[in-house]
Amino acid sequence: MMGDLPVLTTILLCPVAALVLVLLTPARAAHVVRWISAASALLASVLSIQLWRAYDTVQSGFQFVEIIPWVQEVGISYHLAVDGFSTILVMLNSIVFFTGVLTMWDLETRVKEFFAFMLLLVIGVYGVFLSQDLFFFFLFYEIAVVPMYPLILIWGSGNRDYAAMKLMLFLLAGSALLFPALLSIYHASGLGTFNMILLAQKSFDPDFQIFVYPFVFLGFGVLAGLFPFHGWSPTGHVAAPSAVSMLHAGVLMKLGAYGILAVGIRLLPMGAVYWAPTFATLAAIGVVYGAFIAMRQTDFKFVIGFSSVSHMGIVVLGLNLAVLGTAGQDALNGAVFQMFAHGVMTALFFSTVGFIYDRSHSKTIADFGGLGSQMPRAVSIFIIAGLCGAGVPGLASFWAELLVFMAALKTYPVMGVAIIVGLVLTAIYVLRVFSMAFFGPVNDKWDGLRAVDLQGWQLLPRALLVAVLLFFGFFPRVLLDVIDGTTTHMLLVF
Amino acid sequence: MEPLSLILLTTVAPLAAFTLAILLLMQQPRLAQIVVIGGGTLSLAGAALLLFQGPMAPLRYLWFTSGDMQLRFGFLFDGISLMFGVAVALITLCVMVYSLGYMGHDPSKTRYFAMLALFEWAMLSFVYAVDLLQSFIFWELVGLASFFLIGFWYEKPSATAAAKKAFLMTRVGDVGLFIGVLLVLQVAGHFDIPGLLAADTGLVAQAKPAVLTMITLLIFVGIVGKSAQFPLHTWLPDAMEGPTPVSALLHSATMVAAGVYLMARLHPLFMGSETTLGVILVIASITALLAATMAMVATDIKKVLAYSSISQLGFMLLGLAAGSLFAGVFHLITHALFKALLFLCSGLFIHHFESNDLAQIGRRGGRRMRFATAGLLVGGAALAGIPPLGGFFSKEEIFAALGQDGVTIYSIVALLAAFLTAYYTFRMIFLVTRPAHMEQPAPEDHAHGHGRAEPWSMALPVLLLTVGAAIAGFWGSAIASGLGIGAAHHSLASMAPAVLVVIAGVLLAWMDFGRQSAARVGFIARIPALEKLFNNGWYVDAFYDAVVVRTTMLIATILHAVENKLFDGSFDRLGFSVLGIGAGTTRLQNGWVQFYAGWTVILIGVAAAYIGMGG
Repeated sequence: MMGDLPVLTTILLCPVAALVLVLLTPARAAHVVRWISAASALLASVLSIQLWRAYDTVQSGFQFVEIIPWVQEVGISYHLAVDGFSTILVMLNSIVFFTGVLTMWDLETRVKEFFAFMLLLVIGVYGVFLSQDLFFFFLFYEIAVVPMYPLILIWGSGNRDYAAMKLMLFLLAGSALLFPALLSIYHASGLGTFNMILLAQKSFDPDFQIFVYPFVFLGFGVLAGLFPFHGWSPTGHVAAPSAVSMLHAGVLMKLGAYGILAVGIRLLPMGAVYWAPTFATLAAIGVVYGAFIAMRQTDFKFVIGFSSVSHMGIVVLGLNLAVLGTAGQDALNGAVFQMFAHGVMTALFFSTVGFIYDRSHSKTIADFGGLGSQMPRAVSIFIIAGLCGAGVPGLASFWAELLVFMAALKTYPVMGVAIIVGLVLTAIYVLRVFSMAFFGPVNDKWDGLRAVDLQGWQLLPRALLVAVLLFFGFFPRVLLDVIDGTTTHMLLVF
Repeated sequence: MEPLSLILLTTVAPLAAFTLAILLLMQQPRLAQIVVIGGGTLSLAGAALLLFQGPMAPLRYLWFTSGDMQLRFGFLFDGISLMFGVAVALITLCVMVYSLGYMGHDPSKTRYFAMLALFEWAMLSFVYAVDLLQSFIFWELVGLASFFLIGFWYEKPSATAAAKKAFLMTRVGDVGLFIGVLLVLQVAGHFDIPGLLAADTGLVAQAKPAVLTMITLLIFVGIVGKSAQFPLHTWLPDAMEGPTPVSALLHSATMVAAGVYLMARLHPLFMGSETTLGVILVIASITALLAATMAMVATDIKKVLAYSSISQLGFMLLGLAAGSLFAGVFHLITHALFKALLFLCSGLFIHHFESNDLAQIGRRGGRRMRFATAGLLVGGAALAGIPPLGGFFSKEEIFAALGQDGVTIYSIVALLAAFLTAYYTFRMIFLVTRPAHMEQPAPEDHAHGHGRAEPWSMALPVLLLTVGAAIAGFWGSAIASGLGIGAAHHSLASMAPAVLVVIAGVLLAWMDFGRQSAARVGFIARIPALEKLFNNGWYVDAFYDAVVVRTTMLIATILHAVENKLFDGSFDRLGFSVLGIGAGTTRLQNGWVQFYAGWTVILIGVAAAYIGMGG
């Protein structure tokens, strides 16, 4: 079936078509909106699996290329293609999209508008992962970022005005760094094209690379939750509704890391090498720092938010170690693996916390106690996510962390030891949540929750995410085989 | 049968049982028990058949590739893994059957049995692992299963705290192990255990001595955590908060033995570094002695046994570090049997009297429970090292290994610890069996609902392990040949010191607790300072609370303040000051014509003055 169908465009069209249909549906037909979204997510997921299976791991370079010239005067074309990295990230987006729709099934307020914005966000994310044209890349990037504002402002909770504004200002500040940087890359190349594959073959002047790289890195780094520009992220997580947190932490933050990879490292390799020690240090600080801050939080979502800062630090650290040569292969494999694993894991976290919040209207850890006996299923699933966060083997994150730690230890032994010691800190904040909220004497206040634990179809999205984490926890090869060739190819220039 | 199908039977059966129980049988505890015990039985059958077939070539399967690194997971069938695999499967099955009775009234039985199966899968996969990273993975999963089992009664804050403590303290050790394992990869380029141990091409030949020392020391840090050695030993006594069968299984016979097993597994590497061996001798002898002193004063029967586990694990490491693989493995296996027995017996008492207190068990008629008392005597005698029971011969091997280069400080410390072992073991036995006076059994004891003191499910494993503990001492030569080592024969004269310290220990216990006129107070009570020290576990935990925990939380608090005030705060201030400027300038735009006109006049005036002065 992959032969003649432009599969990448079809994947991209799934949410686009759904968006059009949703907009045409009357607002009172909320159920139709849900089913349209779910159907498009399911279709996109099936196509992503097909893409994964059809992706040729032996052949390096981009595959499934689709090019349609658009504005030829300035060299813009609609240009989609995937390598190993984007193949698995497309899969990640489909997983989070599908489980996100199911997580929000019970939403009652402004259903049509919510799913419309969510579909828009998803379109943007697919677009970034698939585009090989710098113009479209940036366009889709902004399409992905902007819906966050209304999504948090309208459907959020708590201090949502503040959170939405803060998130928007940080991300726009990042874009403000990116936009001139991307234009200067376009001009400096002298090729008159936005084609990223062609731009990557051009070797830019080293001084230019060294000057522009920090703009690209920091611009995307903000979205990846890079320390010390991470402040927007936990605040945004806390205020956002479940599925938005899932998409936000699950895929949106990966856009930042993917941007560093696809634009920064691929187009400006010498700049990347020059800055790698500095940015690797920043990322490593973020790993330990995020874990320490997570230990002091009183709100479930803040704990997860800061754990994301810590875990995304591992991704960014891996990206920086990748270009330093000593253990580049492991570092980059680990970073990309971690993007996937962390995406699934946080989606699971937020999906479950969102559920507990929906039922209890509390996110304060100390409010609960012995919740394990009141909501055994939701709690078990949260515990699995927590163990994945703590790097317990058997769950996907373990392999990602293993590869990055291995590279860190080889490249910078002291830093390597520091972040491995950070594993204890991770365990501390995860166990702190377990013992305060899930274990211990049962708080009678929540006895009413016994009747409303996860059941039936509500289990589906969470069980799916757990299954993905376990599957890649035991069979990392399925994922590594797809990315290893691309990693080798990408690191040839270093 | 094919080794592959046998090993899959051994390892996958418990995993399948776990999966079935946790996913489908939550509401059918009876069925879940059958499934789990069935899985355990299949596992034992597989392990026994593997042992029967004898050592075989390892099996390896490609797990993944990252660049030029290839990970191959698989199974290793040599003397150590085959023997220990059977010991693990046997003791696990005993504990599972015993739990039928012990946990019979627990509402969360399914979860309990499922976790036992999870543990068995992880532990057996660890034992047979052919790859060091694979070992590490299952080592961690063993720790995870232990976390769930210690915290099984999660509504009890003490159980939750104990589970958390166990997980975190072993994690500290695991960080060392993890770094050590990663260093192995850096030096050798692979994790394959037989390859690492090969005499000519292995790690000892490849690595510089300093690097080898570093690697083995880091791996030893992991062993210290897992096998509860000083200074990371304090989680083990707390872990007694778990159900007693769990203590029997994990915290004496199997999980804590994983550390010792890993050292035995990698023995040639450790033998390559004199420095590491020196460190291990010091740590292990401190542990053996320290834990014995704490066992002398503990009043909780499970705590006595927990401290004795710590101490005996120290003995095993002493034997291994003194160069004798046989001594370490022999004691590992005899200890697994008699310690599991002792814990299961203590479970019989605890189950019946609903008390952990030694003196109370004695007063309320502990010795009337014939089965438990017999087990306690046999297991205790084996622990104390009374010939010809298991513990005597295996401990004797350790003394022989320590004394091979003449008398050293370590052999003296080991003898002292053995003396204390005999003393505290018989203190426990006498407190239970020879109380000063016995209460008449209260009538409600019978009405309590437990029916017979020992249901068959609890009696059978105890009986089996009693026999095992009694005869294990005679397996020495079989174990030695399994390891491919000729068993040494020791003269009676060389055994004399070991026998003498045991007799002295038993006698002292008799004087203090056994005889009719005994004060039933330990001799140590005459030195209150020491008694206080022992009672408080040498203040190791107090030190951790005061220094380590506080420092960590202090750093977190400081960083939290830094986050709020500095990083996040300054961005907020930046944002709010922009808003402030906006709000300020908004006030200028007040729609008041006179205001605008006034400002126009002023500004034109200023401009005119400026131009006028400039021109």
